[in-house]
Amino acid sequence: MNEHDAVFAQLATLGASLVLLFGIALLWRRSLRAYTKAFQWQSLVLSGMFVLVGYFGHDPQLYLMAVFFFVLKVLVIPWYLARLQRQVGGERESQPYVNIATSLITSGVLVLLAYIITRPVVRVSALPTRGGLPLAVGLIFVGLFVTITRRKALTQVVGFLVLENGIAMLAVLGTYGIPLIIELGVFLDVLMGFLVMQVFVYHIHGTFESIDVDQLDQLKH
Amino acid sequence: MWINWTNSNTEILPSMTFLFLLLPSLCGALLALTVRPYRRFVGWVNALLSLLAIGAALSFCRHIIAGGDAPTFGPGEMLRADSLSALFMVCVTAVAALTLWLSPGLSRESHYSAAQLRRYHLFINLFIFAMLLAVSANNVGFMWIALEATTIFSAMIIPLSLTRASVEASWKYILICSVGIALAFAGTVLGYFDFVTLSGHAEGALNWPVLLATAPSLHPEVMRLSFVFILVGYGTKAGLAPMHTWLPDAHSEAPAQLSAAMSGVLLAVALYAILRWKVVVDAAVGGSYSNHLLLALGLLSLVIATFSIVLSRNYKRMLAYSSIEHTGLLCVGLALGPLGTFAAMLHLVNHTAAKSMMFFLAGRVMHRYQTTEIKQVSGLLKVMPVTGGLFAVGMLAIIGLPPFGIFVSEFALIRAGFAAGNPWLMGIVLALLAVAFIALINHLNRMLYGAAPEGVTVGEGSRWALAPLLINVAVLTVLGLFLPAPLLALLNQIVGIVSK
Repeated sequence: MNEHDAVFAQLATLGASLVLLFGIALLWRRSLRAYTKAFQWQSLVLSGMFVLVGYFGHDPQLYLMAVFFFVLKVLVIPWYLARLQRQVGGERESQPYVNIATSLITSGVLVLLAYIITRPVVRVSALPTRGGLPLAVGLIFVGLFVTITRRKALTQVVGFLVLENGIAMLAVLGTYGIPLIIELGVFLDVLMGFLVMQVFVYHIHGTFESIDVDQLDQLKH
Repeated sequence: MWINWTNSNTEILPSMTFLFLLLPSLCGALLALTVRPYRRFVGWVNALLSLLAIGAALSFCRHIIAGGDAPTFGPGEMLRADSLSALFMVCVTAVAALTLWLSPGLSRESHYSAAQLRRYHLFINLFIFAMLLAVSANNVGFMWIALEATTIFSAMIIPLSLTRASVEASWKYILICSVGIALAFAGTVLGYFDFVTLSGHAEGALNWPVLLATAPSLHPEVMRLSFVFILVGYGTKAGLAPMHTWLPDAHSEAPAQLSAAMSGVLLAVALYAILRWKVVVDAAVGGSYSNHLLLALGLLSLVIATFSIVLSRNYKRMLAYSSIEHTGLLCVGLALGPLGTFAAMLHLVNHTAAKSMMFFLAGRVMHRYQTTEIKQVSGLLKVMPVTGGLFAVGMLAIIGLPPFGIFVSEFALIRAGFAAGNPWLMGIVLALLAVAFIALINHLNRMLYGAAPEGVTVGEGSRWALAPLLINVAVLTVLGLFLPAPLLALLNQIVGIVSK
């Protein structure tokens, strides 16, 4: 491995760790504001990773993706999240189904699990960025965990967005970006999906007068 | 007449057929978007346009059965129609047409407001468009995008009338399915990662035939991991247990038209995505890996669905659980080699015909009785003789009685299981089918007979809406009596693709 690749590998792993850290930060924060901020910072670092991989991997297309990603996940979605929070999100994530200590331990186990299951993936790859792949899968698991264990509809949405960031990181580190046209389609889906979800959050707030998903238990048998 | 027209010209026209397949639903959506407020002609134009799409799907079948190459279309061969796509296109377009012909807003009276009708027609057309795109996409990335879009568009229709139940159902639906389908994308990325690791950034790397051609040299250990993500992801959408929890809620709370489309074909479209990947993964790691996973999830779905049917108190949820049961059965079939694949594909067609009909009928029953509780529906045969009769016929078809198609396909599936050397497994499947049989018959009896509850008007009401459902009955009966030659040819070609 030459020096150029060594620097690239270190920066990629550092960036991936930061992104994962912002994901885990969700687990000990409670207010929706903190969730939005963590997601925004995470997306910012992740768009930096697009630029990084684009620069070291000599793929100018990734700069374009970085711009799209930045606009979508650092500007547009956090703006909507902030608006939602002002209108319906005064409540704190009072009591998640799993307490903070257990959550943090679980996330540690999940990252460990990610390392175990991605071993074959890392082994076959010769990319300098491969060190970040387990972290990306770890972030996917952490996002999934947040989505499952939070009680507020809005924090569930943030968990889902974090999960998607994990996949985006997996794509950029593992393949130096999936084909542009597919990526654009994915961005469009993410945006549409998010917009529909935020409409539904208003619906939940309007019909249940709270965004606590605990109340969503009418449908049985 | 334009089917002949495509037949007489060989080269360009098969690919132009893609436009006839996809544009009707897109135009329908545009029309619904632009005409404001909603007018009745929008619904009628959409219904008529849907017939065009059926023609296109049938024309693909004709082309492929005649031995033509799979036509492709668009830059980078974006769309492709082989026999597997063609079968799903027919199912999707047929159910789409049924849905649009029976949509609210065609007749003068409707219990929806103009704004609701506009929203319904916009999103149902987009939903149909996304499903058709998913089954005709050549690129597995596009297939994912289209499938994710089906979730978004269909979720917009579930809370058409805002109630606590519909809001709850739509929230569970969009959250669980979005998460699931995101995992399927992680699997897709892993597959692409392996491809890139081997052969660099090639043109059309995510195109299914390219992927399949490279598959034997892909790393088995990476593809195994990829398939787990794919199966869990798309399996969530297909309603496989234990990721099925959203399904009974969404299918029971959605308007009848959407339930019919979701139960009839959306589950099948998700299964289609799994099937596409199964072929690639089988080529990379050998068949037994994916077969074991499919068997496990299929059997688990069968068990959970069967006991949920026994316990269900709500007839729409009972039908939804029956869909999970049949999806499980399809997975079991797909894991049983060529014979099983054949049976599963035939079963899929039968289930599509039966389930799309049942949800419409359930919608009518609910509209009349104003309840979804099985206990509170009685004397259905007296109250609505035709609806009740069709409901009984459909239910008998679903539980697998002759002379209906499901009997034949379930029989073929069980036989495939014995032929593949799995007698114990087939014993369990048969026992579960028997339990579901008894439970469904019990529920059905409770609904059909007895005195009509007070306050429920007796008399069929408008009968014209039931006419299209006779097509479903005809399909089920014909497939129960014999296998038409074109369908046989198509199914054989599919088996050739799926289990080499």
